[in-house]
Amino acid sequence: MSDVEIDSSSKEDAVIVMTRTFDAPRDLVWKAFTDPKHVARWFGGRGFVTTLCEMDVRPGGIWKHVMRMPNGEDLVMEVVFLEVVKPERLVWENVDHGKRAPGGHPTSRMTVTLEAVGKKTKWTLVTRFGSIEERDAANRIGFANVIAEGTEKLAEVLAE
Amino acid sequence: MTDADPLSATLFALADPTRRGILAQLARGDASVNDLAAPYDMSRAAVSKHLKVLERAGLVSRSKDAQWRPCHLEGAPLRAVADWLDDYRRFWDRSLEALTDYLEEMQRPKNKKRRRKDAK
Repeated sequence: MSDVEIDSSSKEDAVIVMTRTFDAPRDLVWKAFTDPKHVARWFGGRGFVTTLCEMDVRPGGIWKHVMRMPNGEDLVMEVVFLEVVKPERLVWENVDHGKRAPGGHPTSRMTVTLEAVGKKTKWTLVTRFGSIEERDAANRIGFANVIAEGTEKLAEVLAE
Repeated sequence: MTDADPLSATLFALADPTRRGILAQLARGDASVNDLAAPYDMSRAAVSKHLKVLERAGLVSRSKDAQWRPCHLEGAPLRAVADWLDDYRRFWDRSLEALTDYLEEMQRPKNKKRRRKDAK
């Protein structure tokens, strides 16, 4: 039932693809996903408690989210929306593009697509990696491959 | 060269098939630049350039002692990438699980569906 997978077929882009089908109409999924009042209720999942959720859902708008992690520390997320097409497409990326503190997330751009399938909704999240300097490389080489290969090799290395 | 964080530096270093090939080769054991250049139709200098990128990302270290200065694979940055990807996947998996439940709750008729506490 959990349909999370790393797409290893794409050679075009740096991607992780996660899909899932919700037993709910698309408008409702959109609402649950773009109204901070609702987002605060599920984002992060079990063990994560939202303490702040501000969303300005329009291109250039900011989504700031703070949650208390199970270890008691705060996880702060700040992203900027790039595309907002209600109720089918939402694109955002890290707000601190290219200027991250060491140990931070790799720069990534996330695209959520909602597709109505009868009374259900298919969710697809595509994550692309790469900072400004890395974008060229990322666009040339499939990161999915990198990830697949990287982790395979990693397994070998770790087995040593 | 780049102010990117270590994770991005690793991803960048991995974003080239030759460099991935070099890492794969090193996963089988330390090797000299000549050894590493052998499978490729490429000069020793070109391979050295790739090695520089890998060294900068901390994926490869080179011995200072031996005359042939063998290259050695450092697993830690790869592990960091794999860990991050794991966390990332887990985060969304958990979030979408919670969203599934929440959507169900949103659609539930708001009648008196209060759960009775059965004392046992």
